[in-house]
Amino acid sequence: MGRVSGLVPSRFLTLLAHLVVVITLFWSRDSNIQACLPLTFTPEEYDKQDIQLVAALSVTLGLFAVELAGFLSGVSMFNSTQSLISIGAHCSASVALSFFIFERWECTTYWYIFVFCSALPAVTEMALFVTVFGLKKKPF
Amino acid sequence: MALYELFSHPVERSYRAGLCSKAALFLLLAAALTYIPPLLVAFRSHGFWLKRSSYEEQPTVRFQHQVLLVALLGPESDGFLAWSTFPAFNRLQGDRLRVPLVSTREEDRNQDGKTDMLHFKLELPLQSTEHVLGVQLILTFSYRLHRMATLVMQSMAFLQSSFPVPGSQLYVNGDLRLQQKQPLSCGGLDARYNISVINGTSPFAYDYDLTHIVAAYQERNVTTVLNDPNPIWLVGRAADAPFVINAIIRYPVEVISYQPGFWEMVKFAWVQYVSILLIFLWVFERIKIFVFQNQVVTTIPVTVTPRGDLCKEHLS
Repeated sequence: MGRVSGLVPSRFLTLLAHLVVVITLFWSRDSNIQACLPLTFTPEEYDKQDIQLVAALSVTLGLFAVELAGFLSGVSMFNSTQSLISIGAHCSASVALSFFIFERWECTTYWYIFVFCSALPAVTEMALFVTVFGLKKKPF
Repeated sequence: MALYELFSHPVERSYRAGLCSKAALFLLLAAALTYIPPLLVAFRSHGFWLKRSSYEEQPTVRFQHQVLLVALLGPESDGFLAWSTFPAFNRLQGDRLRVPLVSTREEDRNQDGKTDMLHFKLELPLQSTEHVLGVQLILTFSYRLHRMATLVMQSMAFLQSSFPVPGSQLYVNGDLRLQQKQPLSCGGLDARYNISVINGTSPFAYDYDLTHIVAAYQERNVTTVLNDPNPIWLVGRAADAPFVINAIIRYPVEVISYQPGFWEMVKFAWVQYVSILLIFLWVFERIKIFVFQNQVVTTIPVTVTPRGDLCKEHLS
């Protein structure tokens, strides 16, 4: 039922764009962590924030796995609502995260980006999994 | 004959759906994403609310003909000579009072009604044994600004200079600059500092103490200072010649910072917001057209029928 030609490739591209930015963030998270620490900080404080951010990034990667699995397996590939949510969320995530890196935002702001732009589409994706495999509905 | 497209107009197509449908939710979300992010972009890129702005104005400065002079004398006759335009101060000086000859002239060079410079000349008669090594001089001015807020204040130029060799003349050529610790308001009358720098009616010596005068003056948020990095001392005074202070004080155009008013702030915020909003409006218009044209959200498209067919629609 692939009647909308542009949705599938654009969803794939925004997903990949977000993924690339998140992977880049693994290397360049240093300045963001320093941004949310006071001017003088102990290595323990640094490590605490670092672990938090790395955990958030790793969870993001996990959610990517969920979403890519749903997308590539066909569960949500032709579901236009899920595609819209996913495109919107990952597009905003890519923009917000590139600002996050360039403008050295505080590391706590990552959680907001995470909730709205990674968790939200992943949750709807999981709901789709349930409806498709649990309730045996057609995926679109 | 070849035909050219001379005119075209778009045909409107409407999409119908319930208020609680996916399409309505999508439109609501799109509207939120259209109107809120430009605000965030404009706000996060700093300078959304204009906090401080500046303008140029030449102040209206008048010399108030109030002088307080302390001349520090040389090694053998140690001590000082003093004189001021305040009788109470002069009474306090006793033997140290020495009345100089003062001539001043204010000049309006460009004929705009605002004085541009002050020529101040003070000749302090000295005995042949007295040698001037240092000078402390206070001149007071009335200082007015008109363009935004009306600022009326009485300010001073404080000159302190000394030289190791006994001088015959001190030549000063500098600017009377405005110093602001806080921006002025954008309107109204500001007469906070319309009080005299030196309390000339006071009989107490404390009120004429230079440390007290300077300390009280520096408490102000708006002051003027005499900006002359290098006062010039001329040496070689004839035995009976007076010590001369020759000062040229200019009143330059000042860049005055002020706090913008409500409408100026809103105007600049609006300009920033709308210019970013236009891009978002265009992008989201395209997205909405794509979504509805391709039926990504379920709606019933209705092409607006020409006027003649209105009855037909009613029949069906």
